Amino acid sequence: MTATADAPAATADDGTAPDDGTGGSEPGTETFYDRFPEAARIVRATFLGAFLAFAVGTTFGIIQTLHRTGIARPFSSVDYYTFLTAHGVFLVLSFTIFFLVGVFTWALVRSLDRPLVNTRFSWAWYGLMATGMTLTGLTILAGFTSAVDVSADVLFTFYAPLQAHPLFYGGLAVFLVGTWLAGLDWWRTFLAWRREHPDERIPLQAFMVLTTTIMWYVATSALAISVLFFLLPWSLGLIETVNPTLTRTLFWFFGHPVVYFWLMPAYLLWYTVLPSIAGGRLFSDPLARVVFVLFLLLSTPVGIHHQYLDPGIAEGFKFVAMTNTMFLLLPSLLTAFTVVASVEYGARVRGGTGLFGWLRTLPWRDPAFTGMMLAGLMFAAGGFSGMVNAGMNINYLIHNTIWVTGHFHLTVGTAVALTFMAATYWLWPQITNKPIYSRQIGLAQVVLWFAGMALMSNAMHAQGLLGVPRRTAEPTYSGFEYGSAFGGYGELNLQVAIGGTILFASAVLFLSNVVLTMGNSRTDGLAETLAEPISGSEDAPLVLDNIRLWGGIAVLLVLLAYALPIVAIVQRGGLFGPGGEAYPMVLDALAILAEQAPDVLVERMPDVLGGGWAGGWP
Amino acid sequence: MHVHSYEKIWLALGLGLILLLIGSVTYGAVGPGVSMVAADQPTVDPTALDEDDRFAEPRVEQVGENEYEAYVVAFQFGFEPDPIVLPANSTVTFMVTSRDVTHGFEVVGTNANTMVIPGEVSTLTVETGGPTEYGVICNEYCGAAHHGMEGSIEVVPQEEFEESAGGSSDGDGSGGDQ
Amino acid sequence: MGTTDGEQTAAGLLEDPKSFDPKGTLALILVYFCILVTMWVYIYFVEFLGNDLIVVG
Repeated sequence: MTATADAPAATADDGTAPDDGTGGSEPGTETFYDRFPEAARIVRATFLGAFLAFAVGTTFGIIQTLHRTGIARPFSSVDYYTFLTAHGVFLVLSFTIFFLVGVFTWALVRSLDRPLVNTRFSWAWYGLMATGMTLTGLTILAGFTSAVDVSADVLFTFYAPLQAHPLFYGGLAVFLVGTWLAGLDWWRTFLAWRREHPDERIPLQAFMVLTTTIMWYVATSALAISVLFFLLPWSLGLIETVNPTLTRTLFWFFGHPVVYFWLMPAYLLWYTVLPSIAGGRLFSDPLARVVFVLFLLLSTPVGIHHQYLDPGIAEGFKFVAMTNTMFLLLPSLLTAFTVVASVEYGARVRGGTGLFGWLRTLPWRDPAFTGMMLAGLMFAAGGFSGMVNAGMNINYLIHNTIWVTGHFHLTVGTAVALTFMAATYWLWPQITNKPIYSRQIGLAQVVLWFAGMALMSNAMHAQGLLGVPRRTAEPTYSGFEYGSAFGGYGELNLQVAIGGTILFASAVLFLSNVVLTMGNSRTDGLAETLAEPISGSEDAPLVLDNIRLWGGIAVLLVLLAYALPIVAIVQRGGLFGPGGEAYPMVLDALAILAEQAPDVLVERMPDVLGGGWAGGWP
Repeated sequence: MHVHSYEKIWLALGLGLILLLIGSVTYGAVGPGVSMVAADQPTVDPTALDEDDRFAEPRVEQVGENEYEAYVVAFQFGFEPDPIVLPANSTVTFMVTSRDVTHGFEVVGTNANTMVIPGEVSTLTVETGGPTEYGVICNEYCGAAHHGMEGSIEVVPQEEFEESAGGSSDGDGSGGDQ
Repeated sequence: MGTTDGEQTAAGLLEDPKSFDPKGTLALILVYFCILVTMWVYIYFVEFLGNDLIVVG
């Protein structure tokens, strides 16, 4: 990784000289746009990509909510799974990761006070990410029409032997390579900075970006293997079969750290931006570093906790995954303390008093502040359902029920998404020099998101305890009725539908606000500064900045956690599985099923009324 | 490195919480004896289930005094047998496999819940209570008519079970699939 | 630990930030801790272990 060749070009691109060695401090009179116009354009482009995905993803979200709850069904139940696949992929891969690369690019360049080494390279990774996601997205959306023989109704998890069109996997691979090059871009920029500042501490934001990038490389290695060596060749007909347990395990090797990948930009914003908005200062820079190191170490060797109820994986491996997972609570618990204390400092400095009275003096009219605080509060609630999900044998109660959907709508759907929206109100003026169109609408929007999600997610958790499954177009069955606890199935459905509608209204307000903001003209005087931590990097042991060491330990822990399970899975079922056919979710099979599915329900109606049981179907 | 004393208190409580969680799960495993679905059966060829004497004819069979095994096949889009008839107040081991894609097997409103992965056999043992009925659903997306995939369990008195299942439990296959 | 009795003043905190004791944070987080433990005990021992068809093998 050398960056020498590109450094001079980058300097010319951005039209700014390399900084003079102050590092990390942002001049109060300049916005990011003023100081790094080239990087600001990249951040703006990534945010727009994220918002486009958000617009489509949330529109599909409301369609699903109303369909599932039976309020309105303008589309068939077969199309539901196309919507569901798109909702998952667009929101958790496209929206989150495009926003992430924007936040990370901003944070790295800002904290190093140095332009990216080569802006053309940056546009290249952006182009790869956009191309890959467009391919995957169009392949999914093609599932709505039988005019083309392309589709990918395999959901976000694409468990084999359900098989998508090769373009689905191919697009994912291209997208993934784009994210890898983005990470490379940040590392090259950092190494260039390091040569210019050999003796300085890594600025906190840059440290967060760099450790998270290493985590991403570790995590995505398994997804790359799964897609490139198994699923893509299999979808092209080059290999006959795959081992469903193996590709599933490789997916979850990636599938758990990816949730922290979504979360880390939110943490970065909570640690480095939120305290300043509150008029406070980060309580402890060293603990923030410790937290990011812990995530690097512990995010990956836990993925088997998504497979507690899988056959073919020994109980011992599951127990190891559980203990690792439980220790992953620590960095989040520490974050809760550090971030709240940083905000409390702001309140006390503003004159806040009392054990809880200081909360009143906080800037609740600021949509960026209120949005992030409410996002953090929802994350605390999500922490509870996450503990339950992590608790091995209690998965018999909630596994694959809509409890799990309720959980991740608190975490990625609120802690992450609401923080991103709130941060937009603060960050967008910095990267464009345009003031937000309406901060009042912004405030209403973040509060609505919180209220809508509180209603929807709570009802989902309760339905999960009744045994209502996730990932289904029609959770009402002919042969039984759900229990009546927590208000009963029907009433909870109503709460889900109302909550989902409020969320959609909030999404519309957010997107309208962004679009109207883009129509504003550029202006001066929008620059914001970030306060220095109370306990700064000088208090942090130097070893924390040894990212090579932490990366090495992370790889070692992953090997310890995964080598034996993967060897056991391959020994049991073979590298390419114990046989079985592929089930392409493509071609006319879907159209045929689309015609059949309603008939099945009609056939079953007499059974519902008569209380009897139908024979097997088909 | 300086850590504020309040944050040390919180860290200690956090560690205590983690121990409580791991402790509860361990108690569940050794006290009430909750056991995980695991790798206790060899793999099977999902395309050749008719050559496996358990799954060629999905059924409930007596294997010991008051002990039964229920061989269940999940497929797009249903379960076999349906209904699964079980005797009351007995120990039943479900062995569930799939002949096509990945499914779920969830006895609604209970703890009996497992993934069903082609090539693997999920086993879970439960104690039935008095006569009752349960719904069984697939809780993993398995294709276009996933939402139509359901089955049922009927827990019937011992005498009734012996009358109705007398033919199939001695293996002549008359109670199997059609 | 800074001042142990009475409120820390805004001016004092600006002058010596390291004397800040986040007692409001500690109070909030203790409330959170109690909620977590109570809800865990309820869901594990009542909802889960009290449910039908405990999987014992």
